[in-house]
Amino acid sequence: MGFDMFKKILFATSATEASDHAARVAFYIAASYQSSLSIFHVLGVPTRGYSQVVIDIKTKEEVDVDEDYTAWVKEEVKTYYEKHLDGSFDYTIDVAVGFPAREILRQAKAIKPDLILIGGSTGDEDGSVYKKNSAGSTLQKVAKAAKCPVLVVNRPAASFWGGLSNIVFGTDFSKTSDKAFDFAMKIAKTLDCEMNVFHALDITSLHTGKMLSQDEIEQQIRESLRKIRARYEPRLKELKAYSMDVSEGIPYIEIVKYARDKFADLIVMAHHSKKGASDDSGLGGNVEQVIVRAGCPVISINK
Amino acid sequence: MKKKILVIDDDLNIRDYLVSLFTDNGYDAYIAGDVKEGIKEATKIKPDLITLDIEMPGEWGPRFYRQMSQDPELKNIPVIVISGLSGHQYAVVKAVASLTKPFDRDELLAIVKETLN
Repeated sequence: MGFDMFKKILFATSATEASDHAARVAFYIAASYQSSLSIFHVLGVPTRGYSQVVIDIKTKEEVDVDEDYTAWVKEEVKTYYEKHLDGSFDYTIDVAVGFPAREILRQAKAIKPDLILIGGSTGDEDGSVYKKNSAGSTLQKVAKAAKCPVLVVNRPAASFWGGLSNIVFGTDFSKTSDKAFDFAMKIAKTLDCEMNVFHALDITSLHTGKMLSQDEIEQQIRESLRKIRARYEPRLKELKAYSMDVSEGIPYIEIVKYARDKFADLIVMAHHSKKGASDDSGLGGNVEQVIVRAGCPVISINK
Repeated sequence: MKKKILVIDDDLNIRDYLVSLFTDNGYDAYIAGDVKEGIKEATKIKPDLITLDIEMPGEWGPRFYRQMSQDPELKNIPVIVISGLSGHQYAVVKAVASLTKPFDRDELLAIVKETLN
């Protein structure tokens, strides 16, 4: 089945075990929807600016990068994914040198993918060449800056377990959330998925500035549910099954819990969806926390 | 009365092996080759325990778990995942155990015994 939302996918990978779970999702999507898959690997970080001497991310050794070395790394990546590259979809393999987030975004600018798919960190936090040279993780930076939707498979639990039939859409009622809703609806309609719309009411005193009474919380829950109904239900009726829920707590925890309870295959959320302190101040916003913690893949939509 | 175990696996050899293992150890064993059949059998026999493969033709094991979790009559039945797929231990969060194929028969029997007692 052709699926224009996932026509061209940029799969950014470390080509190590840390990316295996993301790879399973990438290869499943590519094979199922006849996507063209651009497998992209940043082989190392330069030891100093513009130097051809780089620290290889796999061996952690300093290497002189020339055409031969690049060709060898490409071949290594191909060998690593050999069993998945069975001819059921088109693919290319590209390698680059530099800071991963910057290079991934550069590649995205060049090939204009419909989706960037990215896995977790290389796992070896202390020894990682990637992390040593950059503040914050690559996936967080990419999710924050990409111009197209970014699908993140951070934890092994978020891997592919047999299909895409149940989507959780987390909303904060912003304009960017509406854009994310359009995207989620398009997937749900095309793939005949169930959609669960969820709003998490942030009741932390840090956010509200005061301790809310239970009556106030319940009043806000009712208001949020009315808002969800008014904003999304007319279109949700186009789907075979949907639900709408609100609960109070720490938003990212509530969303991760809700997705787990619903056995969601995918979470769709807007990135930078509100000009609030948490999302715009750097790392650690709700979307980024959901990306890091979710038990299923997360698609983050930028404005 | 003997405890009932439903084995859901698309691999005939595994199914046969598990059925022999369970019957030899005093349980009644039933089989299903896919998710659809698994739901049908589980609804019919109301097993005391289910062993579940992850990667199967058509729907995968986690789909079975989702469906059974939504059925009030099935949702509390303990599930043991038995799979060769990498990372299978993350596939069904609420499984009582997750064993890798090829698995240790004594380990499986010990888990079954503990779960059913």
